[in-house]
Amino acid sequence: MADTILSVRDLSTRFFTEEGQVNAVENVSFDVEDGEIFGIVGESGSGKSVTALSVIDLIESPGRVTQGEIWYRNADLAEEFRGSKPEAVDGDLVDIRRLPKGVRRSLRGPSFSMVFQDPMSSFNPSITVGEQIAEAVEVQRRARSNPRSTRSRTQGYGLGSLLVDSLLPSKSYVDDESMDRAVELLDQVGIPDPEDRADEYPHQFSGGMLQRAMIAQALAGEPDILIADEPTTALDVTIQAQILNLLRDLQEQEGMSILMITHDLGVIARMCDRVGVMYAGEVVERGPLADIFENPVHPYTQGLLGSIPDVDDPSGRLEPISGNVPSLLDSEMPDACYFADRCPKAMTDCLTRIPEYELDGRHSVRCVLAEQEYDPADAVDSADATDAADQEVSADD
Amino acid sequence: MTEPLLAVRDLQKYYSEQDSFVDSLLGRDPTSVKAVDGISFEVERGETLGLVGESGCGKSTTGETLLRLREATGGAVTFDGTNVFEMDDDELKAFRRDAQIVFQDPFSSLDPRMTVGDIVAEPLKIHGIPESADGESKREWRRDKVADLLERVGLSANHLDRYPHEFSGGQRQRVGIARALALEPEFIVLDEPVSALDVSVQAQVLNLLDDLQEEFGLTYLFIAHDLSVVRHICDRVAVMYLGNVVELGPTDELFESPKHPYTKALLESVPRPSTAEHGRRVEALSGDVPSPRNPPSGCRFRTRCPQVIPPDDLDIEQETYRAVMDLRDALAVGDVNPDHIWDAADPDRADTEAFIEEARARHIDGELRGEVAGVVDTALGHLAEGEPDRAAETLRERFESPCETQRPAVGDASHPAACHLYEGSDEVTVIGTTAGAAAEADD
Ligand SMILES: Nc1ncnc2c1ncn2[C@@H]1O[C@H](COP(=O)(O)OP(=O)(O)O)[C@@H](O)[C@H]1O
Ligand code: SF4
Ligand code: SF4
Ligand SMILES: [Mg+2]
Repeated sequence: MADTILSVRDLSTRFFTEEGQVNAVENVSFDVEDGEIFGIVGESGSGKSVTALSVIDLIESPGRVTQGEIWYRNADLAEEFRGSKPEAVDGDLVDIRRLPKGVRRSLRGPSFSMVFQDPMSSFNPSITVGEQIAEAVEVQRRARSNPRSTRSRTQGYGLGSLLVDSLLPSKSYVDDESMDRAVELLDQVGIPDPEDRADEYPHQFSGGMLQRAMIAQALAGEPDILIADEPTTALDVTIQAQILNLLRDLQEQEGMSILMITHDLGVIARMCDRVGVMYAGEVVERGPLADIFENPVHPYTQGLLGSIPDVDDPSGRLEPISGNVPSLLDSEMPDACYFADRCPKAMTDCLTRIPEYELDGRHSVRCVLAEQEYDPADAVDSADATDAADQEVSADD
Repeated sequence: MTEPLLAVRDLQKYYSEQDSFVDSLLGRDPTSVKAVDGISFEVERGETLGLVGESGCGKSTTGETLLRLREATGGAVTFDGTNVFEMDDDELKAFRRDAQIVFQDPFSSLDPRMTVGDIVAEPLKIHGIPESADGESKREWRRDKVADLLERVGLSANHLDRYPHEFSGGQRQRVGIARALALEPEFIVLDEPVSALDVSVQAQVLNLLDDLQEEFGLTYLFIAHDLSVVRHICDRVAVMYLGNVVELGPTDELFESPKHPYTKALLESVPRPSTAEHGRRVEALSGDVPSPRNPPSGCRFRTRCPQVIPPDDLDIEQETYRAVMDLRDALAVGDVNPDHIWDAADPDRADTEAFIEEARARHIDGELRGEVAGVVDTALGHLAEGEPDRAAETLRERFESPCETQRPAVGDASHPAACHLYEGSDEVTVIGTTAGAAAEADD
């Protein structure tokens, strides 16, 4: 079995908003192995993006990661902190949540990098694409030549303008060597005539080309883990095919791992080795692709698969999940399985918080059906399963 | 066969766009965006015709123009035997009752200041319905009707006095559907009605649309980019590319035996949610969709088509031909900068052989042989001398494709495809349409 490069344990992230506390991510655990593509799938608002942003430390106020560990394999860091922070080190793994802020920030780029759904809003419209990528290259080069100093210098940069909209005049930080590397990166991601395109502005790029450019920028630091949050959702299906091919090629060439976030089970199937299914802030089922698609145990996973029309087979009526995607307001979260109000198999045992059950070493599920058969005699009316206020506006088929 | 409910003939919609303030001052011609450029199809009573294609290909414009919500540039639309573009006031009023539209975005398509009851009742009021109501006020009659409609679409009559923001996306889309049903229409244009919805909710709405069609005998034009949804809900499908319908056929036939190279590419690209999909590598189409401001001559798809047809007398492999055509297109729009090639090949700019070799390596995978190699090298020689236009012209002279000189017409058989590969085959009888069949000379 491949080594684990990232191991997230019991991660919770909350937003403290005017309407109340939003439990966006709740006790989420998963591993990403070397060279694999791990997928997170779920509907909008299920906590996928917040999970990714929590890993890369980009949660901003009013949000906060409130608990959990994020173990990352990095022998150098482990060595560095073994003496001073023994609780943050386990073998070659370090719990990056316990590292000093500056150190943690310096991991953006060489350790973790991220590609977002909307490339247009991720580039600064008034700086050429080449310069923005070169800037990311520049930051990484400094980091490599003098890690100590860069930890402070990279503050405010993040991944160049990819992550933080830098207000500093960018020109002064970009030299020819970085620009050459930017052109090389543009070439690597399949942008024709990269020398000229590097001098163009974001609006001169098509959506697909700009998505490639954003991937180039994310590669500048040669990351161990690339986080791709809905990287093809804004693209048409033929362009999506190009980008998915590109991501797979890059993953193989660079040997990196990818954390792939999407709502599209088709994209998951094509790209991912293992999958976590998120619902209402929790990972409700997790396992190798085949287990999730062929042997789903959680009724939500089953429902999701039953909801998608099959492009190769028109027969049959869709079997939607009734009801609506829940709100994640703490005050409305029931002390029950969060899916109970929509679950066709809800039983009395579901009216308590459900732990994660291991089915075998690789497949786990947050559902009582892991341990017991569905018993209709024990069924609860799903309306009773939650006292959430949104019940009365929910319309089911 | 009975007369179709809706017949669209050579429909055109150009948007004009003044390029800049200066252009308008100088009275320059506005550039026109050929959003819909001569399309024809029919929708039979009780069927669902799908209109599928990528963003910007003209689907929504088609839907809105045929409903006369936008003014057509050319062509005709016949609804129930009457030309929609020539209707008088009474006819138009009746048409506005019989034909409805549901929009994609359930968040912006409902007025946030109106209650759901008023939103659904609005079309009734506008059309003065009911004319009379015995025993109760017109207002009460409408309230009952709206309550009934809400229940039909799976909402509750209790929701009447609520505002749109109190509903989820799926519920708002149901409200939009209830409003479209209020006037008891025969025909509804559904413009991406489930695209904004999560899959679990999308399935609820698709089932609802199915049920309503059966219950009220509705005819749908279903606009979508999601092929799985289209396969599920449509009886026949029209595939659009850059303002044209490129293929039209019964759903199962079109999905199981697609003809047009674009339809094939679309179907090939869709990621399937099954383990068999894992690691599947799609032969992705190269490049982007060209701008509808300046669409390619002949077949609109020729700049990306993997099957673009080489001249009869040329011995060339398909992939090589595609690569040469891509090079030519890039040269023609000034996308190949010889300076960069020189920098890599010979900074002294003397060794033309090295230049040609470098340029070939950059643009064409694999070996070139015989005549093809000769012509390509001559062209690249011109490029080396800083004459990309001459290079493009050299390539055009020898490599010109029938796909660029002739616009393929959509046939009138049951499953036509607008592609030269299918012309002259038995199943397709090409009909002349003013916008479609006319050969366009390459300029
Ligand atoms: N900046 C924020 N402020 C308040 N709530 C937020 C913020 N960002 C995300 N959330 C909430 O967190 C939950 C999960 O969101 P997200 O991770 O974006 O879901 P997904 O990526 O699965 O669509 C949602 O309820 C969302 O409204
Ligand atoms: S725990 Fe109970 S309610 Fe929750 S998904 Fe499993 S069966 Fe359904
Ligand atoms: S006409 Fe030519 S370019 Fe167009 S689809 Fe057919 S083969 Fe391809
Ligand atoms: Mg998201």
